[in-house]
Amino acid sequence: MRRFEGRVAIVTGAGQGIGRALARGFATEGAALVVAELDAARARRVEQEIVQEAERAIGVPTDVSDEKAVTNTVETAIREFGRIDVLVNNAGIFPLSPIETMAEDEWDRVIATNLVGVFLCSRAVVPHMLTQGGGRIISLASGRAFEGAVHGAHYAASKSGIIGFTKSLALELAPHGITANVLCPGLTDTAQPRGHDLTDEEIYARGAKIPLGRIGQPDDLVGPALFLASDPARHITGQTVLVNGGSIMW
Amino acid sequence: MVNAMEKIAVVGGGGGGIGRAVASRLCDDGFLPLLLDQNESAGTETLSVLAAKGRASKLWVADVSNRAQVREAFDNVVSNYGRIDLLVNLAGGTMYAHLIQDFPLSEWLAVIAVNLKGTFLCCQAAIPTMKRQSSGSMINTSSNYGITGGATRTAYAASKAGVIGFSKSLAHELAPHGIRVNTIAPGRTATARVMRNYTPESWAASEREIPMGRAGDPADIAEGVAFLASPASAYMTGQTLHVNGGMVLP
Ligand SMILES: NC(=O)c1ccc[n+]([C@@H]2O[C@H](COP(=O)([O-])OP(=O)(O)OC[C@H]3O[C@@H](n4cnc5c(N)ncnc54)[C@H](O)[C@@H]3O)[C@@H](O)[C@H]2O)c1
Ligand SMILES: NC(=O)c1ccc[n+]([C@@H]2O[C@H](COP(=O)([O-])OP(=O)(O)OC[C@H]3O[C@@H](n4cnc5c(N)ncnc54)[C@H](O)[C@@H]3O)[C@@H](O)[C@H]2O)c1
Repeated sequence: MRRFEGRVAIVTGAGQGIGRALARGFATEGAALVVAELDAARARRVEQEIVQEAERAIGVPTDVSDEKAVTNTVETAIREFGRIDVLVNNAGIFPLSPIETMAEDEWDRVIATNLVGVFLCSRAVVPHMLTQGGGRIISLASGRAFEGAVHGAHYAASKSGIIGFTKSLALELAPHGITANVLCPGLTDTAQPRGHDLTDEEIYARGAKIPLGRIGQPDDLVGPALFLASDPARHITGQTVLVNGGSIMW
Repeated sequence: MVNAMEKIAVVGGGGGGIGRAVASRLCDDGFLPLLLDQNESAGTETLSVLAAKGRASKLWVADVSNRAQVREAFDNVVSNYGRIDLLVNLAGGTMYAHLIQDFPLSEWLAVIAVNLKGTFLCCQAAIPTMKRQSSGSMINTSSNYGITGGATRTAYAASKAGVIGFSKSLAHELAPHGIRVNTIAPGRTATARVMRNYTPESWAASEREIPMGRAGDPADIAEGVAFLASPASAYMTGQTLHVNGGMVLP
């Protein structure tokens, strides 16, 4: 039997990149997927990709920073699939601005999406996980949480914030068999690092300097995420797992 | 009013328990501590402590999470004193604590606004002046909870862990300009705000849990701040200094 047969997973920001790979990874292992994604067309596309492989999925356009939208997505998950076993908080944005000229609304948007979104989605699934007597929450932070990010002070604030948040969540939920952990990708081959005038050549040159010799691929996160969500990882909570080819060893 | 020998420090949350101790201690190292606090009477009390040490300080009553108020206060500091050598951001606290499933969004946001965004806004406001000087030091405040998390403290831990990632980013950006950015992480410290949550018995019990057998005195934290503000730490930036009696060993 597949590892997540009969289970239900919500992956936020699953319309492309790492989130899409994680959604497909969970589906391949038998989970029914809720593709919670801001961009409705992307949500629909990933839903279809999974359905075409004869797995169960539903795309639900969701802005993770919108309390009502998040409630709606979780209600949809329960209505369609009856339970929620795994939440992957993956949605994130990475604009860059030097601190001096960083606009207040850009700061607000990064914190709202990357940090408040993690709070809202976690808060919304917890009552269902409590009723079920267990569950898994995995949130994507970043190596930037440890090293800071030049021109990404808001991003680093949000990503290190996720780690502090997750430890508190883990402590609260441990008595109820719910674990909460953090995955930190390093440089990964998605749209995100390309948003800032980096050429492909520059990106792959950076990858070549990583100890394991290459940039990460979205699929590199799948094994670690499935592991943290799986039964064998039941005694792991409040932890931060770095998946980065050795670029930061913490 | 401006003594040419005096270095100018701005102490956010200077009316608070730790803020008052910090402001007072900074006088010993030749700083004129200027105060920023939303609580006028608390700030005024610190002014009289400083007056007793022969320092004619000033208080700006402002909410650190309000950009316009922060800007006005810093503009005023610069036009009156001409420089800012040190910024210490202490405004904040736990504010609200609930289990995740009971945490209202508005309260969660309020914690992030003061502890994390307030730190951002105050740092941002001080940067042009420090860049002009090609020197300066900023000290932001995290907490033991930023490292360990704490049940019912998803918001506080997120904000205080976030301060660390934020400060590291700033350290990178500002190092070329001769500006240092470090973080102080107090452990449990005997201020009125914290002690009112304890009975004398539970306070004593909580002190016994700390390896050094006592809670921090605000003066202990002030010594750590004074060190980070001094030339003794001239080669330190992006670091987190834990002053906690061994309570958390990160
Ligand atoms: N790619 C990297 O190098 C890298 C490195 C470290 C961390 N990460 C983190 O991994 C996660 C995934 O990154 P990625 O590289 O796949 O990014 P990506 O930009 O390729 O994909 C992010 C997806 O999230 C969606 N999204 C954005 N805002 C949203 C919102 N408010 N609500 C719902 N969905 C929203 C986007 O539409 C997009 O489909 C992010 O949290 C990112 O910060 C990525
Ligand atoms: N006391 C502890 O045990 C402890 C432990 C770890 C970290 N800390 C941190 O140290 C800092 C100081 O703590 P304290 O114990 O002295 O608390 P305190 O309540 O005595 O002082 C905080 C001060 O900040 C001011 N303040 C609060 N919100 C503000 C706002 N929005 N704008 C302007 N001023 C505002 C308050 O008026 C008060 O004077 C806080 O950041 C706190 O999180 C304290």
